[in-house]
Amino acid sequence: MIPATPTARPATFKYSEKWERALKTLYRRKDVLWLIIWLAGLGMLALWDAFFLNKPAFQKLQQGIVNTFFVALFVIFLTLFLGWSAGVGQYFLDQMRQRVPYLVATFLLNIIRSIPQIVGILIGYALITLGIQNDALSNPSLIIFLTSFTISLFVFPEIVDLIRERIAYFKQRDFYNAMRVCGISEQRIINREILLKNSLPHIFNKLISIFGITVFLLCSIDFIVSVGLSGEINAVNLPATLGSLLANIDSKQDILAIGHTLTNPGYFPNLFFEHLQGVSVAFVIVFSLICIYKIANGFAQRHEL
Amino acid sequence: MQYDYKIHISKNQRPIVAIDQFTIAPKKITFLFGESGIGKSLISKAIYGLIDPNLLDVSINDETYPKYLAQKPTHSLQKNGFFVFQEPSSHLNPLARLKTQLNEGSIAIVDSEQEILQKLWDDNDAAAQKILEVYPKPYRPSGGEKQRILLAMAFKKISLLQKKKSLPDEHLFVFDEPSGSLDDHLRNLFLQLLFEKFAQTRFNALFITHDYSIISEIYQQHREMAKHCAFKELTLADEGLRMRDFAPGEYLDWLKAEKSGAFIRGKRAKIVLSLKSGYEVFGKKMAISHTGNGKSGDELRIHAGKMVYVKAASGVGKTTLAKIIMGLQRCQHLRMTLCGQEFNDATPTLQWRRKVWGKTAGMVFQHADEALNLQATVREVFGGLPVARKLDDPAITKHLLTLFDIAIDDAFLSKKVALLSGGQKQRLNLLRTLALDTDLLILDEPLNGLDLESIQKVIGLLKKKLRNGAAILMISHNEEIIDSIVPPENVYILRMSR
Repeated sequence: MIPATPTARPATFKYSEKWERALKTLYRRKDVLWLIIWLAGLGMLALWDAFFLNKPAFQKLQQGIVNTFFVALFVIFLTLFLGWSAGVGQYFLDQMRQRVPYLVATFLLNIIRSIPQIVGILIGYALITLGIQNDALSNPSLIIFLTSFTISLFVFPEIVDLIRERIAYFKQRDFYNAMRVCGISEQRIINREILLKNSLPHIFNKLISIFGITVFLLCSIDFIVSVGLSGEINAVNLPATLGSLLANIDSKQDILAIGHTLTNPGYFPNLFFEHLQGVSVAFVIVFSLICIYKIANGFAQRHEL
Repeated sequence: MQYDYKIHISKNQRPIVAIDQFTIAPKKITFLFGESGIGKSLISKAIYGLIDPNLLDVSINDETYPKYLAQKPTHSLQKNGFFVFQEPSSHLNPLARLKTQLNEGSIAIVDSEQEILQKLWDDNDAAAQKILEVYPKPYRPSGGEKQRILLAMAFKKISLLQKKKSLPDEHLFVFDEPSGSLDDHLRNLFLQLLFEKFAQTRFNALFITHDYSIISEIYQQHREMAKHCAFKELTLADEGLRMRDFAPGEYLDWLKAEKSGAFIRGKRAKIVLSLKSGYEVFGKKMAISHTGNGKSGDELRIHAGKMVYVKAASGVGKTTLAKIIMGLQRCQHLRMTLCGQEFNDATPTLQWRRKVWGKTAGMVFQHADEALNLQATVREVFGGLPVARKLDDPAITKHLLTLFDIAIDDAFLSKKVALLSGGQKQRLNLLRTLALDTDLLILDEPLNGLDLESIQKVIGLLKKKLRNGAAILMISHNEEIIDSIVPPENVYILRMSR
């Protein structure tokens, strides 16, 4: 028998090997996998709604999604800025033995910590709507920014705590002293060596969670505000978000329809055609929160946090 | 049987260790040298079958690791040999007394235990017996005691093997840094016992170490056994990892040249550091003197251009002394003058920060793994140093080439410190402090984990620093090497004051 001469691997074999490797990599990086699932899910919903949801409702939904996620994104940046500044600032005030400024900063932080997030944000909302009522605020972008700032004000202490904890942890390690005795400045050691080089995954993981917290808080508060705490507050002038859409009468009826299918399973297909607005809003909220949770977990797992 | 291996170890397709020829001489003790982190332990564990194939991808002689593990010779290696781990705690079971563990499995029937313990404990039977009743914990017994228990197990296994009419072909005794936790005296006792056993029946042994002074001990006390020893060194060059024959003369001749060369004697220049004896730290009063008599009133003095060597038993406080001088550790009754400035108990840390750190004094910490930011790149290690001229890439490259003989390109400069070998980290650790232009250099175990070539280069760099007027305070357990370059009048003993 003539031994078979080695031949080049067929192209399809190489192709499937490449896919297999890509899938294995993706499975190892669960945060990336869930990000893809999330974006794919939102994409499929957008496609479905483009076909089966009426145009005004579809535009409202798009606006709500964009506003919600923009607020969440702004909150991340503002929280990072406030948290890093406060955390590092508090540390240096302590190091420089500036007792009074340190005590004042700590007191203010503790005041913020003591206020429940939802209460604090509601107070912020009240101030924003007061501004809208008095025509001091009319620019939707500014309103979104102020909403983000309000939320980040009651969320940034989590970043402060993380930063203080990371600094305290690395101060115990030899490299902190080894760099100090080489004459490297404390600011560089803290900001660059400890936080930027050794704590970025931890900070990023926290920010992913904060993104999810923001979406949840925003939806909850907008829902409450939209339902109406007072007859004088007009939620129409606030930018549309997923929460405010959910409080909309049409969406409420759509949500009730979901409950109806529990006793009338035959009605289930109608949810995807006749009650699409509310179902879409509810789906985006729930699906996003689950995906963000999974992304945070996957990220923590990948970086062994 | 010749043990020749071609080994490739990787993780997630990232190569960790690759060597085309790794040889263990049969019926000899193969002493394997090489810098820390180069792969000596990993290779020996791979050969011995101790690596988990789910964690690392290993191939030996072009065979997959599961296939290698399933082979009869591999089983024989394990059955008829012993592996002494570098870190003894990882071998000992915290839930069983050491006495029990010393009599587990096949070594239970060996009756020469008393004799072995007597030799390893230097005839101090009481101390040995006391240790055997202990459950091993992180802090008790000491690292040296745990190491000796492990060595006792290995010797019992050797004794068991020697009882057979003929030694099986496949057997291997691996000693991975067996003297790491032992002082020189205990190390020599261990070597004595090893050669005694070897003289009875020659067995296959792999002795991994970076303690080159073992060579001196062999040629001074066991010269007749030298012909039964194979000396090898693992080196990393541009073409990859390779195992070369290491001529003991390389070390012995170099040491002889260092000893016979002029001692580093600086001119009686200014006093850079003076530290009075009698400072108190952690409730202990410390004395430092030439004679080790521990009288207060003695003083540690280092002149410009001079190297001073501080010796002390393990755990006495050499590193603490270094930290006190650098202001990292507070103590009582501190009376110190550094470059004309006085320091005492009440001196604020701010003064050290403003006047000392990186300006008049610098310090190399003991463990490079902990002294460097592992997430920084090689380039970033030199960032932020208070040097007259900012260290750009060409300057860093030039500086690195004094101790690194590999290509220093952008890829290397951008490499994370975590991905360097232990020896490379140690060299980087040294170079960071040597980049400073300080009057005083404190070096805590600077030769740790280095191969002979790097040790020679480091000594050369230190001599250059001394010629330029720097003063050096040396802390090192490489007594043989440091004693050859420091004159006796510059040696101080640190003790607890009586």
